[in-house]
Parts: sequence; C-alpha cells; structure tokens
Amino acid sequence: MTLLRDFASTLLALLLAAAPAAAQGALTVQVSTEPPGLDLTTNPSSAIAGVVFYNVQEGLVKVDKHGKLVPWLAERWYTTDSKNYTFFLRQGVRFHNGRELRAADVKFALDRAVNPETKHPYRVQYENIQDVIVKDDYTISVTLKRVEANFLWTVARQGSVIYPREALDTLKTQPIGTGPFTVADWVRGDRIVLVKNKDYWQKGLPRLDKVTYRFIPDPNSALAALKSGDIDVSAFGLGPENVDDLKKDGQFQVILGDTTNDVTLSMNNSKKPYSDKRVRLAITHAIDKEEVLKGAMFGYGKILGSNVDPLNPYYVDVSKREPYDPAKAKKLLADAGYPNGFEATFKVAPQYYYTVRSAEIIVNQLAKVGIRAKIQQVEWGQWLAQVFCLKPCENPDYDMSIIGHAEAWDIGNFANPKYYFRWDNADFQKLFKESEVTVDDRKRREQYVRMQQMLADEAPAVWLYMHPRLVVTKKGVSGIWKDLPIPSLDLSEVGWQK
Amino acid sequence: MRRYVLRRVASTAVTLLFVSLLVFVVVRVLPGDPALVMLGIEASPQAVAALRESLGLNRPVPVQYIQWVGRAARGDLGRSIQYDVPVAGLVLSRLSVTLPLTLMAAGFMVLAAVPLGVFAATYHRRWGDYVTMTLSQLGIAVPGFWAGLLLILLFSVKLGWFQAGGFDGWGQGVGGAFKSLLLPAVALGLFQFAVLARTTRSALLEVLREEYVKTARAKGVAERGVLFRHALRNAMIPILTVAGLQLGQLMAGSIILESVFYLPGLGRLALGAISARDLPVVQGVVLFVATVIVTINAAVDVLYGVLDPRIRYE
Repeated sequence: MTLLRDFASTLLALLLAAAPAAAQGALTVQVSTEPPGLDLTTNPSSAIAGVVFYNVQEGLVKVDKHGKLVPWLAERWYTTDSKNYTFFLRQGVRFHNGRELRAADVKFALDRAVNPETKHPYRVQYENIQDVIVKDDYTISVTLKRVEANFLWTVARQGSVIYPREALDTLKTQPIGTGPFTVADWVRGDRIVLVKNKDYWQKGLPRLDKVTYRFIPDPNSALAALKSGDIDVSAFGLGPENVDDLKKDGQFQVILGDTTNDVTLSMNNSKKPYSDKRVRLAITHAIDKEEVLKGAMFGYGKILGSNVDPLNPYYVDVSKREPYDPAKAKKLLADAGYPNGFEATFKVAPQYYYTVRSAEIIVNQLAKVGIRAKIQQVEWGQWLAQVFCLKPCENPDYDMSIIGHAEAWDIGNFANPKYYFRWDNADFQKLFKESEVTVDDRKRREQYVRMQQMLADEAPAVWLYMHPRLVVTKKGVSGIWKDLPIPSLDLSEVGWQK
Repeated sequence: MRRYVLRRVASTAVTLLFVSLLVFVVVRVLPGDPALVMLGIEASPQAVAALRESLGLNRPVPVQYIQWVGRAARGDLGRSIQYDVPVAGLVLSRLSVTLPLTLMAAGFMVLAAVPLGVFAATYHRRWGDYVTMTLSQLGIAVPGFWAGLLLILLFSVKLGWFQAGGFDGWGQGVGGAFKSLLLPAVALGLFQFAVLARTTRSALLEVLREEYVKTARAKGVAERGVLFRHALRNAMIPILTVAGLQLGQLMAGSIILESVFYLPGLGRLALGAISARDLPVVQGVVLFVATVIVTINAAVDVLYGVLDPRIRYE
C-alpha cells in the first residue's frame, strides 16, 4: 500500500511539475500549415516561404517591410537600359556551411532557375534571362533577352534565393543559405526548429537564439495554446472573430496589417451567362462589399478599390466606376436577356474559411437581383482540379468561386486567357505586354491605371477585399512586420523587449 | 486449439489482402491530382506534368498495385511525396505518439469502466447504479473533441497544470511525455469508457441471473467469489468483444484528438497526407491501421477460445 502511495505521489509530482519558464532568447510560433518540403526553388507554397524565406535563405535583393526593394546579398547594382544588370555582392557573407558566398553561387542558382530540366516552378519568370556572367568573385552581370521592368522583383522573389551548389541535395529537407537562422530539426508533422546563425553577416542579428514553428491547424487549438502560454506568436492561424476578445486581453498584442492577398470573386468567363459583360457587371453592382467584409471578416481587412493590391505602388481606387447599385444590376440583367435572373453555383473550398463565409453573404445579395445562387463546398484538391483547372483539366468546371490571390504583381493573370478566369481580351493583353517592357515609371504607372480601369469596366472578376494580416503575440514580442508585402515571416529582427 | 489458431491466422491473411486492395482502389478514386495539390495554384502545367512523371503516377494502375503490395509485404511502404522520406519510418515515428496515446486511453477505459460496470451491476436499480449510468450517459453524449477542448480550458488555460497540446517526444523524459498525453487520452477514452461500463453492467447482470450463480450462492460461496470467479469470467466474452472493437476505434478516433491537441501522431499524419494527396502515406497509414485492427480482432477471437473451451471445438 505504501508502495502504491509512493507511486501515486511521484506521479502527481511529475504531473504538476511547473512548466519551465520560456527562455528569453526563444520564441514559439504557431503556423497552421506544415511546409511541403523546404525547397523554395521547386515549390511555390507560401508555407515554405513562411519558414525559410529571409530566415534561412536570402536573395540578392530583398523586399523590405514597406514593400520596397532594398540591396541585400548584392550591396548595389546598376543598369543603364533595364536589359543589362550588374550586381556587386557583399563581401564576407558566409553560408551556414562556413563557405563564403561568391558570384559563382549566384550564377549557379540563376542558371538552374532558367534551365528547363530543373522544373523550377517560376521558370517563366526567368525565361527572359539570356546570359549570366561571372566578372570576378563579387561581381556578376545578367543580360536579358529584352527589357524587363520588373526584373529586380524577379531577383527578389522567393524562388531566387542563393544557396551553395554543394548543398543542392538537401534543399528539400535541410536547406542551407546565408540567413540569420539555420534549420536545426524538423519533426515531421509537429515542429521545425531554427537556431541562431552566429556568423550572420548583419552584426547584432538575429535577436533570438531559437525559433520553434509549431504546426497547429485547428484555430480553436491555436487559441488555447496561445492562452495557456504554449506558444508566443500565432502567425497564420486565428480568425478575425477572435480579434476583439484578444485585443481586450492585456497579455497579448494584436497586429493587424495589409497584405497582397486580394480576395477575389472569380467568374468562368468562357461559360454562359458569364461570357456576357452585362451579366458580369450586374453581379459586380449587386455586391455590397462593405457588408461582405463585415459579415465574413468582422470588418477586418480593407475593401479593395481595384484588382491590384493596396501595397502595390501603382494601386489606384477605381471603385467609383462600379458602385453597389442593385437597381442597375437588375437593369443590366434584363438587358442581357435575364429579366428573371438565373441559377448559379459557387464552388468554394472550406479549407479557407473566408471563402465560404463570403459566399454565404454574396448568395443573399445576388438573390435580391434575381440570381439564384447556391454554395457547393469542395475539398481543396478538387477545387484545384475543377475550378483552378491545371492539366489534365481542359476547361474549368465552375460558375463562380472565391479565393485569395496572394501573389504580388499578379495583374498579368488577367492577360492570360488560359488562366482559370478564362478572360480573353486582346486590348488588355496588349497593354499588359507594353507595361512589361516600359521602364519609365510615369508611363508605366499610366499603363497600370489604365489596366485597372479596364478591369473595372470589363469586370472579368469582382475584387472584394484585402485579407488582413493578423498576428497575435504575447506582450513583449517586438519586431514582427505589420504589413506583408511578400509571403514571408521575417524573424531576423524579432525578439523580446527587455 | 492449434487448428483453431491456424484457421484464424489464414482468414486474417485473406482479410488483409482484401484490405490492401480496397485501400489502393479508394485512394486512386479520390479526386484531385497529387502533383497539382503539391505544387499549388501558382505552378506551371509543365512542372505538374514533370512531377507526375517522377512520382510514377503515369504507370498503369494494376502495375502500381502489384509493385506496392510486393514492397509492402517486405516492410517497404514507399516514399512520402510531401516529406521525401520513407513512409515506414514516418509511420513508426508517429506510432511513438499514437500507440501510447491509444494504450493510455484503453487503460483508462478498461480500468475505469470494468470496476464501474461491476459496481453498477451489484447495485442494480439502487443509487450506485443510477449514478454510474448517468455518468456513462454523459460520456456517450459528449463528443471527444469537445471534451478535449473543455479539458484544455480547465486544466491548461485556467489552472495551467498541463500544456494545451503538442508532444516534445520521449527524449523529454517519461514523466513529461506521459503528462502531455494524459488529457488527450482521457478525452479519447471517455466515450469508449462509457460504452464499456454499460456493456460490463448488462453482461454481468445477465450472468447473475443464471442458474449456476444461484447454485454457487446456495453452496455458500462468498458473494465476492460468486461475482469475480463465477459471474465475471463468463461475462467477459461480450466485454472482450466490445473492448477489442473499441481498441480499433480508439486508434481511429485518435485522428480527431490528435488535431485538437496537435499531437504528431498517425491520425494527423493521415489527415495531412489526405489533403496533400500524399498517396503513399495515405495508403501506408490506412494499411497499417487496418492491419492492427484485423490483428486485434484475430487476437480477440483466439482469446475467446481461451476463455470459453466450447468455441475452439466448433
């Protein structure tokens, strides 16, 4: 009996042992999705970027927290014609394996991106590269086939990170780069641990010694983990419904910011009645975006003013061209031959909660002008196959859908008639092509304004709202970006306030 | 007895073959292209085609099946598309969470349910019976994931005694590992505990009405002896049947609770693999779990034979 009592008391002591206090140099971050591998150069997933981009691997140019391009591994560059670029590398930058970064590494990474054998997911963006020449160990020049206004953006993208060629085989499991952290451990399905790179080229950074990413997909569990102190930061997990409650709680700080994620109502332009501009405009006029944002996002986020995200320097608000006007919507429908409306289906993926919530509100709004829409929830894999329609799918199988388009500088999607919108407009395509080779900033801005106006007048898709950046941290965590001009979770300057 | 066991083993093997075929076909019928899901919406069609090729998804389906079964029989379940590591290793590493979790839940279930069921049966239609049955009714009515959230709210958020989830591995020490699995195990076992308590009670009540129990009592055997030596042993057949089935259900039920408590177990591995269309992992996990359940059922059948000699001579 004594033995039993001893056992019970030992057990109780073990169970009630106080949790160790969080080390000040350590941070636990919750993310909802586990990255599918860690290779930025073969997979465009933003879950990979959230861990690796800027933390483990970096590029020649960086998009900073304000969305500006700043010199990074290249300390400067010059071009006179936007066709020939010369980059001067920072000296003394070392990879995690101790070897110094040289121009040959940059050539290797760019050549590999251009090479069709590599299957780089962004290869299209590098197709314009004609030649990469190493001038000396710290100087490299890139020659393009034709002028490209956005080339520096290409160099700043997540697919353009620089890695040592000898570590190519481990890019997917143990990526090596020049970043402030190294990958220490990856327990599949549970966590990824990054530790401080003591030889990081930016003196004094990073501020943290250790970062643990925990994969917690369920928002309720994420909230409980935050409240019980198991995690310090919830980066991409909590819904807007928790914001008010958390804002009131003195233990936490809520960071709300802008993103490049435009939540868009897409229409299948290749299918009747959506092939008729009047119908598309009617749908646009029938939607009260204010109400959608309030209902789906508790008012957090921003109503968009065009099909470009507000972090883009050429963004203009053209929403006056298509205001909420149900009477006009009804008239347009009647003109198009649908005085009594029509039946429609929204295909949405519940994996992204905001898509279903937004659709529910929009269905009611459309009903007021006679469009009888219903919601069909499909699993993400099916959504990609049926709505987004990559091969082997030939024609997209949907009427309308809703999804966030998170990529920056993605107006080109409207110039692609094979994109799932299936919008084929020669004028727009011509204008976009011109903008790609226009280097003069004023002229390019004019082209972008014109494109945004065209998209408002033609209404191939309805812009709804910008999905907010929503990060919740324990009080005392500082240095997290407010806005998200590029999908990344830069932790280099994050730390605990003393 | 040997022939009985051999027969059971043979039928288990046939069942497993069917299971493997079913798993393979069902996974193939799932809509959604794994290459597409992996690369996401910004990938080019060329990249998708290249990935399909390298994953072997272009080969004829029967060829894929035969290759898969052949390798699975040798313990090679293929390579995870998503993680690029062997599936068998993944399953084994996840088992270090799911197995103790399931066993702890089963332990909680049996240790709480059988005594409580016996208690209720001995207090039939008196206060003890009513209290026990009310408790078990509650256990049946509360879904596991909700019970899990309530436990987290009370013990993690309010009292701060346990972490809200996660599992840092056995490297942290047995105490720590045990502690991180305790709340999920209780939440997981709650429903099955309630079912088993009711089963135990009714099975025992049935046996207590038998003539031989009356005889034992008439012979002057002490009530404790009647209960445990004569009645409970005979009541064990239905209890064992239910408990065996429940063990399988616990393993399957861990999928939900592993998500609530974000434990890196088999269930979450399967769930993640399904949404990522990581076919080798889905197949591997389902085949593994099915094998375990079929084996448990076979073991239960063999145990019947041990408990009741009539069964093995049939």
